[in-house]
Amino acid sequence: MPLLKIDDLEIEVKNGTTVLEAALENGIDIPYYCYHPALEIVGSCRMCLVQVEGMPKLQVSCNTFVGEVPPERKVDGNFDMVVQTQNDLVIQERKNILEFLLLNHPLDCPVCDQAGECYLQDYSFKFGNAHSRFDEDKRVRPNEYLGSQIVINHNRCILCSRCTRFTREISGTSELFVDERGYSSKIAALEDRPLNNLLAGNVADICPVGALLSTDYVHKNRIWNLQKKSSVCQDCSVGCNIDAFYQKRKIFRLNPRENQDVNGYFMCDIGRYGFHRFEDLERVARPLFKSNGIFSEISWDTAIEKISNKFNGAEEKVAGVVSPFHTNETNFMLGRLIKGIIGTFPHIEDEEITYPSGFRISSDRSPNKRGMHDVCPSIVDDLASEINDKEIRVIYILDNEIDKEIDETWNKILTKMDFIVVQAYAMTRLAKSAHLILPGLAPFEREGTITNDQGRVQWLRSVLPNNGESRPDWEILNLLYKTGERFSDINELMKGMGEQFPSYSGMTFFKLGDQGLPLNGNLKT
Amino acid sequence: MATIIKSYEPTFWDKLYIPALVQGLLVTFKHLLRKKVTIQYPEEKLIPPEGYRGLHRLNKDANGRIKCVACDMCSAACPADCIDIIPGSSPWDDGKERYPVSFEIDLLKCIFCGFCEMACPEEAIELTEIYDFSDYTREKLIIDKDGLLDVYDKTKDKNYYSNSQNLTIKE
Ligand code: SF4
Ligand code: SF4
Ligand code: SF4
Repeated sequence: MPLLKIDDLEIEVKNGTTVLEAALENGIDIPYYCYHPALEIVGSCRMCLVQVEGMPKLQVSCNTFVGEVPPERKVDGNFDMVVQTQNDLVIQERKNILEFLLLNHPLDCPVCDQAGECYLQDYSFKFGNAHSRFDEDKRVRPNEYLGSQIVINHNRCILCSRCTRFTREISGTSELFVDERGYSSKIAALEDRPLNNLLAGNVADICPVGALLSTDYVHKNRIWNLQKKSSVCQDCSVGCNIDAFYQKRKIFRLNPRENQDVNGYFMCDIGRYGFHRFEDLERVARPLFKSNGIFSEISWDTAIEKISNKFNGAEEKVAGVVSPFHTNETNFMLGRLIKGIIGTFPHIEDEEITYPSGFRISSDRSPNKRGMHDVCPSIVDDLASEINDKEIRVIYILDNEIDKEIDETWNKILTKMDFIVVQAYAMTRLAKSAHLILPGLAPFEREGTITNDQGRVQWLRSVLPNNGESRPDWEILNLLYKTGERFSDINELMKGMGEQFPSYSGMTFFKLGDQGLPLNGNLKT
Repeated sequence: MATIIKSYEPTFWDKLYIPALVQGLLVTFKHLLRKKVTIQYPEEKLIPPEGYRGLHRLNKDANGRIKCVACDMCSAACPADCIDIIPGSSPWDDGKERYPVSFEIDLLKCIFCGFCEMACPEEAIELTEIYDFSDYTREKLIIDKDGLLDVYDKTKDKNYYSNSQNLTIKE
């Protein structure tokens, strides 16, 4: 393996590693704009220049590869390459490059949404000049829509071409290109081919400056007001890893989080903007009991008592409806509680989309179908006829479908019931038909594990605080158990789940961590 | 060990009281002829010295629009955390893209440090010399965007930035 010396650090690297990668892996900070680990190298921004011993000029470190050299050409008889990243020449060169990049840049940080997480801002602060020597007027261009959700501010663009490479290599749709030459170059999309693919939102993330903006977040907030929590997207069964940015009780945006085993660096727009549908819902904050067609608030104790009374002695006559939108823990708790039959909602398939880069949007637009079947193996296929056969009169439903109509089959099932319990977070149509509503948590409030369609278990972390008196869904079900059978906390519950379903044994939040683990095998070690 | 403190025993001269009375009155008459230090507030008002930091105002630009671009710099700088801004895209399509949809300062929390005006990149927020803005409820002391713009209308002949010397940045 070639021996590389960066500044004072001597490291062995793989043949063909770039200097930039080697430096970043070893904690040496080299500034860059056009380099992105998921995209082709172009070496166009010149920000990552370093000095390589034996080369007459500074080299772009993102495009300089380390390889083994014959013994007689080794530097100091030992190193295959010696690189300086912090000497005066390099620092001066960074200053010069920044001066060029800022020639036409408007420096409008106060109104720019990237401010606070902008590499141009950071590096200008670190390396740049305090004053510009450019006395001429700056080039000013109006903002343009590149697609329905993406706006470009040409003045801020530094032409790093990350966005064009993204549409060429990752989404494979090639909408964006560099229009015109030299001083007039700008990022553009053809009028009849706007940037409207389902990965478009990512270009706003990878733009190192505030040039590409998502209309969904533009002028909404400042990054330093937002708090960040890592979680998992719940809009399809791929389970892209995300960072949720929120302030108080409101989510402002979702960004993809790197996970090479799931989503790489990106996420799709269905998930990115999906959180909006949970806003402004008519939430259920306390248990509601229907008498004479009108819901009235009751206490948790009364609600649990009412349900226990219905269940007692007639355990075999209760049906439970689990949901692929709920966590493994919640589904497991309901599956274990119900002695009658377990069913689920009919499954909705959507279009499966796979991009040339391998990025996938699953046809199954629920996050946890696989996990649900894992922890509730006894789910029946035809709930309606089973209910008929077994003369079920009480049903307990985990509801999650805020915009779903109640179809004929469900209508038939519901009209037969003497007692319907719906565990929901919003006043859905199904919830309105219930006799008793128990307030659970909304998708971004939940904590638990979900299993994606590849069998990877991931930690779904709660982002927002609970609403009103609502409680975690597994905890509500826990209350319905007899005192001896209850779990003290979610960790105990996961242990219990592992005992019953060996593929989940040994699982803890701590082990799953940020990246999750595959079901087969690794959970135990 | 207890110490015995002898109490003061007034002499005959003291017991007359008249000398003390005269002494006291002398002080009164001396001040009667001097320049007064108190003023007849609220009929008369004290003019605070230059650089005094009182009630905030939000400045308007030449077109009469709010100058603030809702950059949140002031609220980030504010040590009392009393500025609450909701930004939005501006309704005007020339130049200014961003403006505050709502801008509130909790005057009860504010410590009148002036950090907000120091932080502002647009010279949009200033502390005026108005100091008498007490009120009867807490809610009324949360001043909103319109209130702050009204303060500007009342004080628009004054430029508090130019008064403040430490704002001139030396090159
Ligand atoms: S818009 Fe952003 S990502 Fe695209 S070239 Fe310009 S700076 Fe780079
Ligand atoms: S004067 Fe100080 S405390 Fe008051 S709003 Fe401004 S920064 Fe905050
Ligand atoms: S710092 Fe100035 S421009 Fe920015 S939000 Fe505050 S008042 Fe407005």
